[in-house]
Amino acid sequence: MDNICNDARVTPPWEGQGGGPLLRELHRMTSRRIYLVAAVVLPLFLIAFMATIFGTGQMEHIPIGVVDADNTASSRSVVRNIAAVPTFEVRHHYADDATARAAVQRKDIYGYLSIPPRFEADMLRGEGATLSYYYHYALLAVGGEVMSAFEQALIPVRMAPIVVEAVTLGSTEESIETFLLPMTSDDHALYNPSLNYSTYLTLPIFYIMFQILVLLVTLYAIGSERKEGCSHSWLASAHGNILVALTGKLLPYTLLFICEALLANVVFFYWVGIPFAGDMCLFSLLTVIFVLATQSVAVLLYTLLPALSFVISIVSMVGSLGATLSGLTFPLPAMHPIVQYAALLFPVRHFTVAMQQIVYSDAGFAACSSSLAVLCLFPLVALLLLPRLRRILHVCPHDTLE
Amino acid sequence: MIRWNRLPLSIRVAWRELQAIATSYSVLLVLVGGVFVYGLLYNYMYAPNVVREVPVAVVDHSHTALSRQYVRWLDATPDVAVAYELPDMVAAKSLMTQGEVFGILYLPRDFATLFYEGRPSVYPFYASTDAFLYYEAMERANLLVMEAMDGDYRTTLLPFLSLQGLAAVATQSPVTVVGTALYNPIEGYGVYLIPSVLMIIIFQTLMMLIAMMSGRERQQRLLAPYACLRSNHTRLALSLVWGKSLTYGMLYGVFSLFLMGALPLIFDIPHAASGLSLTVLLVPYIFSTSFLGLALSRWYTDPEAPILFIAFFSIGLIFLSGVSFPLELMPWYWCAVHYIIPAAPATLAFVKLSAMEASLRDIAPELIALCMQTVAYFLLAVAVYRRKLKCRYSSPHEKG
Repeated sequence: MDNICNDARVTPPWEGQGGGPLLRELHRMTSRRIYLVAAVVLPLFLIAFMATIFGTGQMEHIPIGVVDADNTASSRSVVRNIAAVPTFEVRHHYADDATARAAVQRKDIYGYLSIPPRFEADMLRGEGATLSYYYHYALLAVGGEVMSAFEQALIPVRMAPIVVEAVTLGSTEESIETFLLPMTSDDHALYNPSLNYSTYLTLPIFYIMFQILVLLVTLYAIGSERKEGCSHSWLASAHGNILVALTGKLLPYTLLFICEALLANVVFFYWVGIPFAGDMCLFSLLTVIFVLATQSVAVLLYTLLPALSFVISIVSMVGSLGATLSGLTFPLPAMHPIVQYAALLFPVRHFTVAMQQIVYSDAGFAACSSSLAVLCLFPLVALLLLPRLRRILHVCPHDTLE
Repeated sequence: MIRWNRLPLSIRVAWRELQAIATSYSVLLVLVGGVFVYGLLYNYMYAPNVVREVPVAVVDHSHTALSRQYVRWLDATPDVAVAYELPDMVAAKSLMTQGEVFGILYLPRDFATLFYEGRPSVYPFYASTDAFLYYEAMERANLLVMEAMDGDYRTTLLPFLSLQGLAAVATQSPVTVVGTALYNPIEGYGVYLIPSVLMIIIFQTLMMLIAMMSGRERQQRLLAPYACLRSNHTRLALSLVWGKSLTYGMLYGVFSLFLMGALPLIFDIPHAASGLSLTVLLVPYIFSTSFLGLALSRWYTDPEAPILFIAFFSIGLIFLSGVSFPLELMPWYWCAVHYIIPAAPATLAFVKLSAMEASLRDIAPELIALCMQTVAYFLLAVAVYRRKLKCRYSSPHEKG
């Protein structure tokens, strides 16, 4: 494997020229493919992945089934109503509930409507006809959509017998409907009226996956120095100043990550079409601070546990926890208090809060200032521990723990 | 006494691999941390399962008994808690921006007036979509209260109804609509997510384990002693791949007992799968993952670098598995990727088995995909190891 500091064939350009750790790092970066792949190719892949994985983002044409045991004009009319709902695509008409249930089991369909025999007769006689629908809730995200679409589509059917009878007898449709539903709630889904999955998840999930990459690449860049026994050469390139050494080392990655994050913002807001209500400058500032905070956490963790093979596997697992602790899918206040406190230690949690405030509600600096302030604390804490990092690099330059 | 040299090579490889795993702290950390701590932690985090008492703000400009009744009933629902009663929408909106409340109920000045005049009384309910679970909870609660209020107060409107209308109400009854959630009786989020997470944990930690072992193998030239055996390279590669996978298979067999046997009992997550069907699913899953890891080891130069990639992909796998966003709605190329990575179809199949009480026949498409992957990745892994032995150890200079 390439070992920059021990490789006699390479004349390091930083030596004797005062090129400093930045030039040294650029040379390291270009000497191994892993840096290029992890810091450039993967983020670009991630942007493409998140931009395309949800298709249109709309839960439309979800396959469902229908069991029509009545086969009358009324039941067919209900089925036609259901088939006209954009969320649904009636894939199949089943003979009985058992076959429909088996199809749900195979995941051929995500739910079905069951119309019992004598549905029309019961309805006409005013004996309380019943309609049942079943939805797949082991797959909760789709199931939730199927349920609310069924509820919405069947609202007119619920009161249909009374309305039809009243209109037949000579009453106006409006007066009977007002009697039946005197108070009507007008529901508004704010920020995402069509409940689009792409609008909901694309941006936050991108940043959750991106922070894993930022954490790991930063850790690897620092940790590989001791692993390869190059700590002294690294410190020497900065004349023993740990702050200069670390800044020079991380600056290329920081700039790369910031550029990629800003590119992602542009792609998501302007190309994918995620609605953006806020101030782009403020959001870009948040993005920059988030990258710095995440890198600081990596530095911090390496300082506390300076063994690459250990810390990288810990961080790879802790990084994935960011998905849960950001509170994006399952809201944090619903979790145990201890989990809520633990989430405060993750920059991605503060980022998600501020991001939703800016992107959704056009929050200004004042509203998200607390999240921004906490994000700024991470680099400060990392700075405080730099002397320890210097001591580690100086006193034990080799990381042999495995 | 066992005559060590008489044992088949693959058994010796398996034993060496087990020794190497047992003596490496970092690998043990991945296994203990990844399988046991991670498994317990995820279950603990999602143990609350349901979202309750979502804070909403109420702006009541009606100030009537009717509006107060509505607010009381909304507060009484399990899903929603009325956290603030505010004088105007500006204050409510500002609380929403700060994340203090997630919904706003606005009852206008003429809310009760219109109602008692027999005219439709429409009022807006604003719900934020920060988290879809919150939105669904608020929508559900509000709909419930609306229906209850309408049902309870309808009789007071009888004087406004014409005789024909009265006759219709007296002779007809509404259609009852009953919705039933299948396979998730407590309607919990953890019940939905945890089975997928368990399968992804198996994939992620096994890939990390193989990456660390192969990275070190390359760094420390640990294949050299095998190459010295001077046997046929293809047979040697076969023994290596099979022997290593045997160790991984045994280890993950034990881990699966914990993940799929003990955890569901402790945390009450779905465990409808029978031992037989689980075994039929897990054997090809663990082996295809193992072979895939060994095939990818062609690019593993040190023990740490591959972890960057493995950790990065883990969240994406949840989406690719199709348990979150339906496969049917994804672009075709991501559907194709679903069938290439073992974790994706296996996760889906496991959800079917454990939560949906599916039979083996119901998971046939996923099983076929996994078996095909097992064969394909096995051949690939053997080819990769053959190449490693040939390129690196047949000449004295390592080509790297």
